[in-house]
Amino acid sequence: MIKDMDKKTAEEKMSQLEWYITKHCLWQYNSRGWDREIQNERILGKTKQILCGENAREDDSTADKYYWSEAMTLTGAFKRYFPWLEETSKEDIAVIMHMLKEKMDYTMIKGSLNVELTKEQY
Amino acid sequence: MPYHQFECSECIPERLHHAVDKNPGEQLTDALPLGYLNTIPGSISERGCAYCGAKHVIGTPMKDVIHLSHGPVGCTYDTWQTKRYISDDGNFQLKYTFASNMKESHIVFGAGTMLKSNIIEAFKAFPEIKRMSIYQTCASALIGDDIEATAAEVMEEMPDVKVFTCNSPGFAGPSQSGGHHKINLAWLSQMVGTGEPEIFSKYVINYVGEYNIQGDQEIMKDYFYRMGIQILSTFTGNTHFDDLRSMHRAQLNVLECARSAEYICDELRVRYGIPRMDIDGFGFEGISDSLLKIGYFFGIEDKAREIIAEETARWKPELDWYAARLKGVRICLWPGGSKLWHWAHLLHKEIGVDVVSVYTKFGHQGDMEKGISRCEPGALAIDDPNELETIEAMYKLKPDVIFTGKRPGEVAKKIRVPYLNVHGYHNGPYKGYEGWVRLAKDIYNAVYSPIHRLALLDISKDEIPTDKEFETRQTLSDVKLSDEIKNSAVLRQCTSSYDPIPALREKLKKNESYLFPDPETGELRKVPVEKLMKNKVVDVEQ
Repeated sequence: MIKDMDKKTAEEKMSQLEWYITKHCLWQYNSRGWDREIQNERILGKTKQILCGENAREDDSTADKYYWSEAMTLTGAFKRYFPWLEETSKEDIAVIMHMLKEKMDYTMIKGSLNVELTKEQY
Repeated sequence: MPYHQFECSECIPERLHHAVDKNPGEQLTDALPLGYLNTIPGSISERGCAYCGAKHVIGTPMKDVIHLSHGPVGCTYDTWQTKRYISDDGNFQLKYTFASNMKESHIVFGAGTMLKSNIIEAFKAFPEIKRMSIYQTCASALIGDDIEATAAEVMEEMPDVKVFTCNSPGFAGPSQSGGHHKINLAWLSQMVGTGEPEIFSKYVINYVGEYNIQGDQEIMKDYFYRMGIQILSTFTGNTHFDDLRSMHRAQLNVLECARSAEYICDELRVRYGIPRMDIDGFGFEGISDSLLKIGYFFGIEDKAREIIAEETARWKPELDWYAARLKGVRICLWPGGSKLWHWAHLLHKEIGVDVVSVYTKFGHQGDMEKGISRCEPGALAIDDPNELETIEAMYKLKPDVIFTGKRPGEVAKKIRVPYLNVHGYHNGPYKGYEGWVRLAKDIYNAVYSPIHRLALLDISKDEIPTDKEFETRQTLSDVKLSDEIKNSAVLRQCTSSYDPIPALREKLKKNESYLFPDPETGELRKVPVEKLMKNKVVDVEQ
């Protein structure tokens, strides 16, 4: 549900965030589809939590620390590149981040032409 | 993104799906070059073999090891000294190469006995070296020589030595990438967990997929040490054999070249729960973001920010001097497997050049996903090009310089396109802030060399200008620059020394700058330089 902005605006903003990730980040390119699902879920999920002022730490495990580190770095870069984030409501950020996750899942997993994604072993 | 049809490859229809043009507005889901497939017969590829990928790329940067190829002498000779993976303790791994020297008679009667005597002879010739890697080749694999059994026999007779065996003959994959895969998993299975390291810091990493080309690892090591991070092992540049036996004790795997070393990171994550963090050690923004996220992981982001600020202030005015003069220069970024994505976006953003083509010799489709995402629209992306395709691309794209290895680089020179060696480097290291400036300087020197301008003239038909006198790179590069940039008091040329690595080694030996937090108390203290040079690793009872 989009409260303060229309769908087109939300998509435009989502595209900007997607551009940043595909251009600058390496975490979404793991070589297997199931890895990419986890990476997108955990890192984008935590990024959304940080941007919305929520707690993004689940436990003290090194895995959680890793996803959080990526999310913190991504959040910093998003704020640096896209000042409009500071003026966007938490509800709208949540919507945009949800759209971003869907788009990343499609581009990097479901719609990907990379035939190695479905291999079972590393 | 439409597939790109090379005219020269119309007679090899399978090649069509190995190249695409990146057009504005198009997505990775529209077209992606095929990758990591057997080279098509008739296509003269620039690839190496799986043996080369295992031995030359990943195995041999280990510095205290006798690297012995079980096969004809040509296999080891042709993978010797072609890449500058230096070490800080005398370059044993570059000075010597070893082969069992198989001949026709061994193919008929077997070479196992000879291999065993050669292993013992090599250890006796270099008694200070107690570690060995043996690499299978096509010849020894085809006759079924059991190198693992021979190694086990030797280790039983010589209890103070350890021998790692790598079963990656040349035919064991489409390219060198098959060898990367095999040696990653072989090392993990045979060696990881067999040594227990001394942990002297609260923060412990493995630095993976880093081969210390002209000192890259030593540049990055300086940053990590300044943050108080212990590098348990580097896979595999400038590292000890035993360091890599203790990889299982790191808290984080920091992965640089995912193409050659993601496999061991993925498996270390599955087997030991160590997270994999991919980083970019090249380009100011890439390094800064990487140091910051490593900092976040350990809760030392302030230390990372200090280094970022200090290094950026020191080197940015020099980078910008070159960026002003390289704006719009057209380059083909044609490396082996990972630099197309490590470099594409930051070459454009920070050095000002236009990447008109990316290619990979042995990359997989994942590398193309990264490379295509990071280059600008208009670029031509090619997988495993043949020589005629690269020549056609150069004639059509008219690059000012290409970044590649020395074999295709020499081809480029013949059609008067300068090249930079991005495998062994021209004047590296290229990693780190200082390294990125060194790369910019090398691009500048390649593009604006007055000698190159002369080479473009054909004395048999071109008119030779007689109205121009002495030219320098700067007279050529500054023609279109504004006075503001030309006379800038801020911008300056590269001040990095001819070789920055000796100073870093001196800094390490003096041991005045690095403080590590105690693993138990967190108290910051110096660690004896001997440990920084060679960490203690104790054998684990098997």
